[in-house]
Amino acid sequence: MSEMDVLSSCFVKAEELVTRHIAGETLIVPVKGQVGDLDSIYTLNEVGTRIWQLIDGDTPLSNIVNAIQSEYEVTEQEATRDVLELFDTLQSAGLIRRATKSEG
Amino acid sequence: METVNYGEFSREMHRLLMRDRYPSNGTIEVTRRCPLTCAHCYNNLPMSDSAARRSELTFEEHCRILDEITEAGCLWLLFTGGEIFARKDFLDIYTYAKSKGLLITLFTNGTLMTPEIADHLVEWRPFAIEITLYGRTRETYERLTGIPGSFDRCIRGIELLLERKLPLSLKTVAVTINRHEIWDMKRYAEEELGVGFKFDALMSPRIDCSQSPLAVRLTPQESVELDLQDPVRVSEWKKFAEKFGGPVNTPEHSDEIYHCGGGLNSFAIDPQGRMSICVLSHFDTYDLRQGSFSEGWNNFLNKARRKKMTMMTKCVKCEIKAMCGMCPANGELESGHAEKPVDYLCQVAHLRAQSFGLAVPPHGDCEYCEGGQRYDHIVELADSLRKHIEGGASKTFSRYLPIVSTEKKLTQSSCSSCSCH
Repeated sequence: MSEMDVLSSCFVKAEELVTRHIAGETLIVPVKGQVGDLDSIYTLNEVGTRIWQLIDGDTPLSNIVNAIQSEYEVTEQEATRDVLELFDTLQSAGLIRRATKSEG
Repeated sequence: METVNYGEFSREMHRLLMRDRYPSNGTIEVTRRCPLTCAHCYNNLPMSDSAARRSELTFEEHCRILDEITEAGCLWLLFTGGEIFARKDFLDIYTYAKSKGLLITLFTNGTLMTPEIADHLVEWRPFAIEITLYGRTRETYERLTGIPGSFDRCIRGIELLLERKLPLSLKTVAVTINRHEIWDMKRYAEEELGVGFKFDALMSPRIDCSQSPLAVRLTPQESVELDLQDPVRVSEWKKFAEKFGGPVNTPEHSDEIYHCGGGLNSFAIDPQGRMSICVLSHFDTYDLRQGSFSEGWNNFLNKARRKKMTMMTKCVKCEIKAMCGMCPANGELESGHAEKPVDYLCQVAHLRAQSFGLAVPPHGDCEYCEGGQRYDHIVELADSLRKHIEGGASKTFSRYLPIVSTEKKLTQSSCSSCSCH
């Protein structure tokens, strides 16, 4: 899939995980079934947390890139690289998946 | 995302959580009812105790408390008892807690485990499960638990969890009845099952003030002898003493009676919803049926945690506290006063230090220190223990036939009081 296709895609979070905000840290805790690795806890830094908040099933990645670019005053290239890298990791860990049209 | 091992994650989280006094570690005793009648237990009640059952928090009350502790920043939660599965609705409480994103450890004796419960735990995987094994042989195990058939049920429970690759470890409390099987239990856990094992000889009177558990408590020399039999254990004790020994290193808090994490980053809630510093401490409790968790944590428990010393005892300046189990809760239970030294613990600490060759700086009027009335006795005991170990008295092992447990046997030997399973 081309970068263009990925950037126009929307993603949803796996249902069986819980996001906790404790002491300034964002933790993603898989709670049930085969989501992620049940023996792992995932932590996000500030930018990762903001990206995680923007994943809602109907916001294309390109919009998330734009938000990160403007909120953190980075270049489009930097924002695109960071967002794509995080999405790749989240998808590999089973924490997000591509939204179907009906979910958008 | 960066990958770190759990130890690093935990250390960093605890550092952040300690900074602002978050209630990060919680313990909830869901019931004190238990199908076993262990001689050493500090809180068990019969399964048939209907008054105890009626007094326990309801499922709805548990949900409200779980909502509140999660909101306040609790991350690690321990469910313990009694026996947690003595409650028919325990899995409902557990599942609700899991759905809140808590990292949950379960303490159980394993005897009420069923394939259905184990399957549920696969679906909603706990952070850790610890089963207490009371003996390596049926005879010893059931001498301690007092319940025929309980050994087979425990072994079956262990098998059910291991077959499903759940995160299990075993542990025991070393008492007069099972001390000869401690190393066999360790070998069984580590070598035969491939799971972790730990034991402790520290035990306390019952929380209802009965001293009955002390009848099976090891003598100080028996307790230290177990340490000396395992060079790894001795080395761990020494490291622990090095890390946590010495005077209290926070002068602004040195006049307080608590020096543990209780009330600073941890709390305990009993089956009736009373919150305290820990499961053993019952002098200061806050009723969560009458008020919110945040009120109890921020005000009541904070004040309890900051309680000041009222008397000068030999414990205050003692620098081998790391070798000792003395704390306000143990003082309350055994001496009737949070600050009054517990003679048994004092003996164990001094004997341990002497046996390990660690220095014991003077700390007031202590009969077990140099110049004290019982100092010679402690030195003699330590010498005799060391000679005993050097002379070849080390871990004793026995050989056992494989244990065969079948469903039929389990059904036949079911305890009649375990009506919920």
